Amino acid sequence: MMEIETVRRLIAGGLEQSEVQVQGDGRHFEAVIISPVFEGKSLVQRHQMVYALVKKEMESDLLHALSMKTFTPEQWAAQGN
Amino acid sequence: MVNERIKLLIDGSSVVLFMKGDRLFPQCGFSGKAIQILEACGAEFDTVNTLLDEEIRQGIKEFSSWPTIPQLYVNGEFVGGSDIMMDLYESGELHQILS
Repeated sequence: MMEIETVRRLIAGGLEQSEVQVQGDGRHFEAVIISPVFEGKSLVQRHQMVYALVKKEMESDLLHALSMKTFTPEQWAAQGN
Repeated sequence: MVNERIKLLIDGSSVVLFMKGDRLFPQCGFSGKAIQILEACGAEFDTVNTLLDEEIRQGIKEFSSWPTIPQLYVNGEFVGGSDIMMDLYESGELHQILS
């Protein structure tokens, strides 16, 4: 079991200038992540960057699933946010 | 060696989904979603049931540097998991990748 805030902090702490929104039930989480470090990175690269931040938790199955939507600040703004 | 087995699977099929369960009976929601997306694209594809093979189940995660299953490979290249597939499907890119 993991706390939403713990997941949020793990991700936000590892990505510069990021905004991270997390929802979840303790094992399955969904995150919206906005950060300029995603600029120029493919979807696979972006997700790998985030997965690297929760590697231990995923390997021990504390974190069972993490769905992600990743944006650069420009992409987020273009969505009308 | 498991990497050789994985390479054979990836090279032996233009579209192959490593998943939990199979096309008729996906065993997890994310694998089920991946199947739905591929079927919505009208794609021909093969599947590998990682629940039946622990070596492949662990091996594919290291092979792809990707910690979760499902995993889609098209023409030998890793495309992503169900999140990325949905993203690409919605943008129309998946249809291009699969054609």
